[in-house]
Amino acid sequence: MKYSWWKILGVLLLLYVFTFGFLVPLKPGIIAVSPVSIEANHVSNISITGYNSNYQSQESSLQVWLKIDSTSGYQATSLRVNGERQLTATFDIGALPDTTEALLLVVNAEDGTAIRPRAVKINSAEHQPASVPSKLSALPSKTFQTKAGFYFPYRSILDETIRNTFFHVALWMAMFVLLLIGLYHSIQYLRTKRIEYDIKASSYSYAAILYGLLGLATGSVWARYTWGTWWTPDVKLNMAAITMLIYAAYAVLRAGIDDIDKRSQLSAIYNIFAFAAMIPLLFVIPRLTDSLHPGNGGNPALGGEDLDNTLRMVFYPAIIGLFLLGRWIATLNIRIETLRIHKLQSDL
Amino acid sequence: MIQKTLYILLIIMTPVLLMAHESADFLRSTGKIYSVVLAVVLIFLGIVFYLVRLDRKISRLEKEMLD
Repeated sequence: MKYSWWKILGVLLLLYVFTFGFLVPLKPGIIAVSPVSIEANHVSNISITGYNSNYQSQESSLQVWLKIDSTSGYQATSLRVNGERQLTATFDIGALPDTTEALLLVVNAEDGTAIRPRAVKINSAEHQPASVPSKLSALPSKTFQTKAGFYFPYRSILDETIRNTFFHVALWMAMFVLLLIGLYHSIQYLRTKRIEYDIKASSYSYAAILYGLLGLATGSVWARYTWGTWWTPDVKLNMAAITMLIYAAYAVLRAGIDDIDKRSQLSAIYNIFAFAAMIPLLFVIPRLTDSLHPGNGGNPALGGEDLDNTLRMVFYPAIIGLFLLGRWIATLNIRIETLRIHKLQSDL
Repeated sequence: MIQKTLYILLIIMTPVLLMAHESADFLRSTGKIYSVVLAVVLIFLGIVFYLVRLDRKISRLEKEMLD
C-alpha cells in the first residue's frame, strides 16, 4: 500500500462527517398536527406533536400561534401540555374573508421558534355575518427566535433526513469533481495520445459513475420515505438518470472495443461530449422548471433555507472526504490498468 | 469462491434490508433517521462492490503474471 497524505485526510474527514453528521441534534420542530383543517368562526382544538421540543419544562413561556399574514395571527387561548413533545392548543378563530393555510408557530424560551408551514387550513365560513369580529391579534415583535447552540435546522417533511446532505448530496458533488478530472485527462489524451492519460480518464470516470449510481440509489431510498415512492417523474430525478445512462454508455463503449488505441481515442471524445451533456442536464434544466427536490425550483443553488452554516460545516468536509475516497478508488484502478499495459508491452 | 459469495450477499442484502423494516414503518420512526442510515449502508455496499471488482481484476492479473 502506498501511504499518501490525502488518503489519510480523506478517511479523517469522513470520520468527522460520520461523527458530527449523526451526533449534532436538530433544532426543535413540529412533526405532526391534527386536525389539518378547521373552520373559521369556531373554537377548535389542535393537537401538536413536537420534535426535540421542551413543552413541559418550558410551559410558563410557551406560546402557540397560527400566523395568517405577515403581521397578524391567532394566539392559542389555552394550552394543555402532555409531556415534552405533545400539546393541545385551543384556538378561537374569528371571521376570515378567505380560506387560509396558516403557518403554525410554537415558541418558548428554551427552544426558540418551531415553524410548520401550511400546517392548518382554516376554511372561511360561507355565509359570514358582517358583525363577526376577526379576533386577529398582532404577532409579537420577537416571535422568531432561534435556539442558542449548535444545531442543524429542522425542516418540515425532511426531519432527520436533512443529514442526507452529507451523504447523498455530497456524493453528487464529489462525482462532479471526479468527472472534471476525468475530462481533463481525456483532453490530455487527445493532445498527447499517451496511454496513461486514457487509463486515468477512464478510472476517474468509473469512480464517478459509481458515485452517481450510489447517488441515484440513496436518493431513491430517501424519496421512498419522504415522498412515499421510489421514483417520480420529477425533472431533477429524470435528468440525473439520463446523465447516468450517458455515462453507462461510456462504460459500454469502452468494453465493446478491443483495439486499445481505437478505444482510447473514441472514449476520450465520447467523455468530452458526455461532460458537455451533463452540464445542462444537471445544472440548467432542473433550475428552469419546478421540482419537488429540496433546494430546487427556481434558482436557490446552495443557499437559502435548505443549507445553513451549521450544515455547511459538515457538508463541505463531506464533499472533500468523498472526493478523496473516490480518488483513492480511481488510483487503485489506475495502478491495476498500468500494470496490465506494462505486461502487454513486455509480452510483445 | 469468496468473491462469488460476496456478490450473492450484496445482491440479497439490499432488498432484505428494505423488506425487513418496511411493514413496521421502522424507517420512518424517529424523524426518519433510519432512512439516512440505510443511505449510508447503500454507499458502503456500493464501495465494497467496487472493491470486489478491483480485487477480481488483481487476481486475474496475478494469475496471468504467474502463468
